[in-house]
Amino acid sequence: MRSAVPAMLALLLAVALAGPASAQCKLHRGDVVVLYSSAEDPDVLVWDSRFRLRDYYAASFDEARQLLPHALLARSGTRAEIESCIPDFVQPGLLNPLADAVGIVIIAGPHRDQRGWVLGTDLRRRRH
Amino acid sequence: MRTLAPLGRVTGTLLLTAFLVVALAIAVQGAFQTRASIADTFSRQSSVQAAQLALEELLRLQIVEENALRGYSLTHDSFYVDQYLTAAAAYDSRIGFIRATLAPERLVRVEQLLTEYVRIQSQWRDEVATPLLRHPNDRLAELDKRNKLFSDYETRIVAAIRSELAAANEAFARSTQSQLERTAYVRAFWLLLFGLLAILFNGYRTRLYRELEEERTTTETLQRAFQSESVPLPNCEVGTAYRSASSHLAVGGDVFDVHLLSDSLALLLIADVSGKGIDAAVLTAFIKFTIRGIALRHRDPSAILAEFNTAFSRAVKDPYLFVSMFVGVLDTRTFAFSYASAGHDSAFVRRSDGVQQLAVTGPVLGVMEEPFGTETIDLRPGDALVLTTDGLTEARNRAGNLLGDAGAMRLIERSARDAQALADDLVAQVRSIVGNRLRDDLAILVVRVNQGAGPNA
Repeated sequence: MRSAVPAMLALLLAVALAGPASAQCKLHRGDVVVLYSSAEDPDVLVWDSRFRLRDYYAASFDEARQLLPHALLARSGTRAEIESCIPDFVQPGLLNPLADAVGIVIIAGPHRDQRGWVLGTDLRRRRH
Repeated sequence: MRTLAPLGRVTGTLLLTAFLVVALAIAVQGAFQTRASIADTFSRQSSVQAAQLALEELLRLQIVEENALRGYSLTHDSFYVDQYLTAAAAYDSRIGFIRATLAPERLVRVEQLLTEYVRIQSQWRDEVATPLLRHPNDRLAELDKRNKLFSDYETRIVAAIRSELAAANEAFARSTQSQLERTAYVRAFWLLLFGLLAILFNGYRTRLYRELEEERTTTETLQRAFQSESVPLPNCEVGTAYRSASSHLAVGGDVFDVHLLSDSLALLLIADVSGKGIDAAVLTAFIKFTIRGIALRHRDPSAILAEFNTAFSRAVKDPYLFVSMFVGVLDTRTFAFSYASAGHDSAFVRRSDGVQQLAVTGPVLGVMEEPFGTETIDLRPGDALVLTTDGLTEARNRAGNLLGDAGAMRLIERSARDAQALADDLVAQVRSIVGNRLRDDLAILVVRVNQGAGPNA
């Protein structure tokens, strides 16, 4: 009984210190999706690193140009499968909410089997 | 009750009126200023809204440029080249329009973003559009990637410009709203002020009217006391006329009085006080009642004048004030008329054979203590005593010629027979001489012995 008191206190402390529930990705590993950008140009840049993906949206135009060799351009409608997801990882523009960085593998088209990172907002679920 | 002095009335009225006018002027000027200010804000807001619309048009043109380029790369159709060039020209024009429209607003951040937008679009043309137009088949994938970069970045810039313009638009809307609210408060203030001033003005006017009405009542009461009076006399007709030189006053510096001293003796008085208006009128009341009082003890007109002269000198301290006076005592049974004249030369008797001026028997009153003489005349039936003031003899025509004693006597001679008609005739003739505007008060007292009356009637 005596040993249960510190445990209860620790539990209460943990509950008190706990923040709001951490953000969740909307897409999960294994989901099959279609690439389609919500930007003016619907093609999607697929980045070789999630950090470059983040930097691209934070960079000036000239800095973004320097990053471009690290991306491939997938045509809109390209199919891919989700491999991983990091919620709220990218700030795509000052006015937009945080977006997920999603790791994908392209499963069709000229870039088949290529892996990379895209914005969660550039992915659409396939409807069967 | 406190009353407003005449100067206070004028000053108060002028002040209130001036305050109203100034308040009105400020209100009108304020209204115009507010209107101009709101119109200016609206105009600036319209400019920002026009820029917002132009920005959307710009984005559309940018898309047209890119789509035309895609169309050309797929079809090699020159139609798309033309479309691209047209859209590019329109894009440049719209950019110019936006910059010109927003220049007066000094939106620094928007200007920076527009500069960046133009720079990137220009770079896109150089690095993507122009190579693709030259060699549509070369390195398409690479160009597409660059195109994506440009497109993404331009989208971000446009979003930022949109946001800045929306904020400016919102600021103008807030400013307009705040100006409208302020205008409403200001209007309410002026309405309240005008309302209060109107109430104040109305109250002030009501007070003025009430005081004027009280004054009028007082004046009328005093006028009744000051007015010359006559009573019917046995065997005689009495006619009177009085015209004051002050058109708004029924009293002046002239006075006559017909007062019965006994069953047969009548006191006749006519006098002219130097000066005009209320001050002179107050003195006439003093003259009328003092002479009546003296005449109760003395029947000799010269004695009456002498005693009055003493009383007048003691009562009135103004050395410049004097009175010409004619006092007579008429026996209405014998028609013997004894009189004394203190410098009053406009007294006449009209008989069947002409008009005679009655002699002055002493100096004007209030100047010196000189003895006065008494004269006696006998009146016959039909004779008329015509006692006037200098308003008759000193009447001047438009050429400035004085009527004088002789002229007055001529008028009396050709006037009507009856006493009242004679008095009225004289007034009418004086009016026609002076042009309907009296320079001096005019009093006329006519006592005419009845035609059928004889001595001891």
